[in-house]
Amino acid sequence: MNISRKHSRAVGIVAAASALALVVAGCSARDDGGDGDGDGAASSPGITDDSITLGITTPLSGATAGPGTCTVAGVTAYFGAVNAAGGVEFGDGVTRTVEIETYDDAYDPQQSLANFQQMVADDVFAVTAGLGTPTNRAFREAAIDEEVPQVLVMTGDPLFSDREESPWQLGFVPIYQNEGAAFGELLATSTEEHKVAILSQNDDYGEGYVEGFKEAIEGADNIEIVGELTYEATDTSVDAQLTELAGTGADVFFNAMSITPLVISSLQKTQELGWLPSWFLPSNTSSPTAILQPGNATAFPGVYSVSFSKAPASPAFAEDEDVQTFLSDLAEYADYPDMPAFPHCMWSYMVGATLEQAFQNMTEPTRENFLAALNDISDFQAPLMLDGTYVDTTVDGQPAVSTVIVQKYNGTGYSNAETFE
Amino acid sequence: MGTFVQLVIDGLSAGSIYAALALAIVLVNQATGLINFAQGGMAVLSAYIAYAFLGWGLPLILAIVAAVVVSFAMGAVIERFLIRRFEGGDPDTAIVVTVGLLTLITGIAGWIWTYNNLQFPSLFPVASIDVLGAVVSVRSLGTTVVIIAIMVLLQLVFLRTKLGLALRAVADNPQSASFSGLPVGWLLMVGWGMAAALGAVAGALVAPQLTLTPGMMDTALVYALAAIILGGMSSPLGVVIAAWLIGVLENLAAVYVPAIGHDLKIAVPFILIFVVLIVRPQGLFGRKVVVRV
Repeated sequence: MNISRKHSRAVGIVAAASALALVVAGCSARDDGGDGDGDGAASSPGITDDSITLGITTPLSGATAGPGTCTVAGVTAYFGAVNAAGGVEFGDGVTRTVEIETYDDAYDPQQSLANFQQMVADDVFAVTAGLGTPTNRAFREAAIDEEVPQVLVMTGDPLFSDREESPWQLGFVPIYQNEGAAFGELLATSTEEHKVAILSQNDDYGEGYVEGFKEAIEGADNIEIVGELTYEATDTSVDAQLTELAGTGADVFFNAMSITPLVISSLQKTQELGWLPSWFLPSNTSSPTAILQPGNATAFPGVYSVSFSKAPASPAFAEDEDVQTFLSDLAEYADYPDMPAFPHCMWSYMVGATLEQAFQNMTEPTRENFLAALNDISDFQAPLMLDGTYVDTTVDGQPAVSTVIVQKYNGTGYSNAETFE
Repeated sequence: MGTFVQLVIDGLSAGSIYAALALAIVLVNQATGLINFAQGGMAVLSAYIAYAFLGWGLPLILAIVAAVVVSFAMGAVIERFLIRRFEGGDPDTAIVVTVGLLTLITGIAGWIWTYNNLQFPSLFPVASIDVLGAVVSVRSLGTTVVIIAIMVLLQLVFLRTKLGLALRAVADNPQSASFSGLPVGWLLMVGWGMAAALGAVAGALVAPQLTLTPGMMDTALVYALAAIILGGMSSPLGVVIAAWLIGVLENLAAVYVPAIGHDLKIAVPFILIFVVLIVRPQGLFGRKVVVRV
């Protein structure tokens, strides 16, 4: 075998493999299978006189598996405890246990669509709690076609809370704009002048944050945006962006980033560059144990984030009754003995409580009736919610939770921030 | 000027990771004529092995050394008991085997260590030093220096030792080498072992930056393959230079070419490949083989 043949074959194989990867990435199978008959009189699939079955498609493998595992653990813990106590008494007088089927989508939209079709085949009553904007978007239309509720999902995408566009959907966590606006409002109240550098993910996630932030600082003449860059969710390094932004001399850095390892390396890189601004981080990438400690965030004058959930790891909540119940449920029913490193564990526990509210007000065992009950919850303070935040599903264009509290990192957890220092 | 120097050194550091992986792939390719798509996956597994040693209380540097040794054995064993059956057969089949191996290794790593992002300590402190008026991170510099040192060591092994001579002989012509009494089987195992050991170093360098996950090396593998095509499969030095070129150009293009920007920079190495291959099909540093009739 001579070398040139060997070499050209190798090149050919690499080229072919690359081409194949592109083709696979580029095409996506669409399947409009199924024909929802929407018959409202009989009971819907997935609900019997003994049980109701919920489906979760979420990343249980891949880069987002940490938060993804949490989205299953919280709900499983909540209903595990409820089932152990006998189940939920529904509005129609029947007591049912809540069963949960989980499906791994590895944060891959095509996989989540396939999972949804599997759920339809498996007779799931409603889809809930799954994490991810692209993955939830992938089967949104299919869920509308099939008339399967896709509710209290973990995405800040406003599309899911638009009742006109998404009649069978409802988002749970605050939309990106809610969070961005909370930061902007806090900054605008500052008595000093600030220069802001922005790095955002080049998609609806990043754009939503930046949009909310800019709206909130409009007219505040003490705030100037001096640098604004984007990165791709697939990037493995943002060092070049950070180097460029460090050159702007900004004293506030708004990093609208959803990728855990990138946030950690950003915290480290800015320190290496000797650039020490105050940070604003999104709620889903500001975990003290998983992100801020490895990133040595105490080096900065302040790291701010928003939250609507009590932090179990924080000493302030060590004695809190909600937190203690939550942790013991998590260990006992969800096989999750560790202290949760991601807020998604708490959020999905709240999802469980919110679903229970809807179940208790369902007068018929149908999906339509469930949706009506779910969209009629106001001022409900789910367990683990911070004072001043609540579930309200009655406002069009807003997710179940739209209230957030801005908090500042204190070296172990977060404390509420009334003003920007 | 400061920004420029920072971008270049960060680019070299990223490029060094691609280079380490690319070198490992070239090493295997030169020894066995195969492209090992599992090289990145094996590097991840090596990083997990280092992580396990850390968990048993070894200091970081010893844990990495131990992982390198274990990886060497792992590479040799994989060659002997899995790849050996496909060598000399249809190379396309062997490629599929290595792709399968990649999937298998990723799955095993996820199954043992979960898919969560694990924290892996860095050999280098989170600090910076002043280079030509630019603030440059110790990690970027250190990564680059480690890879250069390994490259020099490899060159020495190949050019100055009996083992290196034998490895080159096997790569050049396994049949003649075998007739001359060289233990070809052993040498193939050593080649794979060395590649796996190299991968282990790359894994230990990447893990602190990306946090340890089973898919950590996927992107690096694509870049490494790009570097191989660009540098030329037959030139270890060329591959390393190509990897550095990719890392640096990507960074500079993102910041200094507004039309490309940070969002399109991933296209830079691939545009580079098209251009180079049109002009020089054997890669920048590859040898054009002339067959005498």
